[in-house]
Amino acid sequence: MDEPLFSAAVLNRREVLARMGLGLAALTISTVLGPLSPAQARTQGVLLKHFTPAETATLEAWNDTLVPGAAEAGVMYFLDDQLGKDLPLLLLRYTDFPAPALSFYQGGIHALDALSQAQYQQPFAQLDAAKRISLAGQVAQGSAKSWDGPPAPLFYFVTRSDAVDVYYGTEAGFARLKLPYMAHIAPPKAW
Amino acid sequence: MDKVDVLIVGAGASGGLLAAKLAQAGKSVLLLETGPQHALGSKGDLYSSQIWARRLKWGGPNSETGGANPLSVTFNSGWGVGGAAIHHYAVWPRLHADDFQLRSDFGVGRDWPLTYDDLRPYYDRVQKEVGISGDHKAEIWRPAGEPYPMPPVPMFAQGRLIAGGFTKLGMHTSPIPLAINTEVYNGRSACLYDGWCDAGCPIGALANPLATYLPQALEAKAQVMTGATVTRVLTNAAGTQASGVEYFDASGQRQEQMARVVILAAFAVQNPRILLNSREGGLANRSGQVGRGMAAHPSLGIYGLFKEETQNIYGVTGGQLLNQDSYAKAPSQGQKASFSWLIANALKPNDLLGVAGSRVDLFGEPLHAFMQQAAGHLAIMTYIGEDRISEDNRLTLSSQKDLYGFPVAQLVHQHSKTGLSAVEVGTRQGLAVMKAAGATESWAGGLGGQHILGGTVMGSDPQTSVTDSYGRTHDVPNLFVTGTTLFASTGAVNPTFTVHSLALRTADHLIERWSEFG
Repeated sequence: MDEPLFSAAVLNRREVLARMGLGLAALTISTVLGPLSPAQARTQGVLLKHFTPAETATLEAWNDTLVPGAAEAGVMYFLDDQLGKDLPLLLLRYTDFPAPALSFYQGGIHALDALSQAQYQQPFAQLDAAKRISLAGQVAQGSAKSWDGPPAPLFYFVTRSDAVDVYYGTEAGFARLKLPYMAHIAPPKAW
Repeated sequence: MDKVDVLIVGAGASGGLLAAKLAQAGKSVLLLETGPQHALGSKGDLYSSQIWARRLKWGGPNSETGGANPLSVTFNSGWGVGGAAIHHYAVWPRLHADDFQLRSDFGVGRDWPLTYDDLRPYYDRVQKEVGISGDHKAEIWRPAGEPYPMPPVPMFAQGRLIAGGFTKLGMHTSPIPLAINTEVYNGRSACLYDGWCDAGCPIGALANPLATYLPQALEAKAQVMTGATVTRVLTNAAGTQASGVEYFDASGQRQEQMARVVILAAFAVQNPRILLNSREGGLANRSGQVGRGMAAHPSLGIYGLFKEETQNIYGVTGGQLLNQDSYAKAPSQGQKASFSWLIANALKPNDLLGVAGSRVDLFGEPLHAFMQQAAGHLAIMTYIGEDRISEDNRLTLSSQKDLYGFPVAQLVHQHSKTGLSAVEVGTRQGLAVMKAAGATESWAGGLGGQHILGGTVMGSDPQTSVTDSYGRTHDVPNLFVTGTTLFASTGAVNPTFTVHSLALRTADHLIERWSEFG
């Protein structure tokens, strides 16, 4: 086949835009950040609307086990914000899960803590890193005994995706991977 | 509103095209769309984010999904003006000639009530009107047709690397045909190759309906009403003549809209659901086939890690190259189903098809280590396979009800043995290609079902199909159905080009035969 028209290795994005006769400014609106990003909300200790403090501690510790740094990035505030919307932007939607999204998360939290109590006599948030990782492996593989919640591998898959969204799916997340974000239209919130 | 000539349910790919053509022919056209409006441009809402992109996926009542291989209705459907095509990747290969006559040629599945030659002129016209980039000569497997009007998309490193693997195995690659502009075309911008296709292309380089036919429809005075949820097609007592539709408006009020012709263009889940809800036993269901004959393309990613930079952040989501060396049905040689490779898809870190999703088994620090390596060095090619339209893959009405008291869809799905057998062949082939390309590690992702097909399958026999080749229902002459819901076989290509071509053929038919409806 023909040689490629050009290679990204020799053209940066501004050059591509120039070649296409389009200016970046014409394609991008100013980012309108909400009053607080999820990370800022966490730093300031904003109370969550949909989770109790105990539920928050469990799910935050779980998300941080799956994607270390997700807690600091504000994954719980992201979830809490989304669960208040008519159309949450959570990957859970793709599963056509037949129940309200909040019940999916609460069911998983309670199953996780029950599993932790059964195996280690402690809630999940109080476990050391090695025990958290061990339980995460069991949940991921669906091998956890006495799991009483949404299907364990589904809970792992969805919550891992939430944590990945917040940690890697934002402009800051792309920067963690040294990837250019290249927004046509920047989202109105950081995530 | 007064009685309209044509009422179209759903403002997606086929609905937009039909609205444009029929309004241009002087018909009064109303599109009822259950979802919200979307808009292109710098003041639009097509934000570059895989998280925000989920706003474009189905947001109506959940379907109940089940079976051995449940399909994601939400992931495959669209939400709002533009429909599923607003987030489609614009991979636009044609079906092959033998896809239209499986029963006649191979004794399996169904025949379409038309041949490739019947549809070819419409492929060519849509191709010219919308614009496709590609290289028809390099695409050696493509059935006859006009050359593509635009040169192919550029190739980045992962495309060159994987192409090398195919070449070493004696296989061929060509530029992938895409309804994405590589140059300014019909006043629409050219692509920037930054991989945000899934989030809806706000510059109109990718042929989503907001950029192609819907503006033409509006210019020709077609009207679009959003937040209008159609629940039933209204008919005479015998169910042999459509009079209009029942819908609930944005404020939740029940309304009726009369029309001379009703067209269901609401995707492969809502089309049969509306028909089943319209009448006891289903409207246009003399054959008992409404909701039957459904399928999806078995699909999975083959991944490879390379020492070289793969530049996977650049390009378009649909890919850079195509391989259809295995697009053949030769039962005597053990090949019963075709498959295609969409090669070198642009990747983002998150979401279902993102970098992190390529290794869902990883979590914790191993995930971070993988992400740091894969962000610059992962390559992917995507398997799109043929499956059999199955009588057992069926949409029925659930006991669950929507906001207005109508049963939601219940969809049971299982890939066929034939389809899964081809997946096994393809997986082995894909891994061999990655190895030959020089990948240091390669693996297959999880199997999924892309593009929901069937449910109101077209055919020649009213006893075994729901519509004729124009999507005109056998039982209700002024009721039409469009979209993937008509497909009588899956082929092994993305369906949107065929959806457009069928819709254009339907538009011509309606205009030519309008005296029957006026």
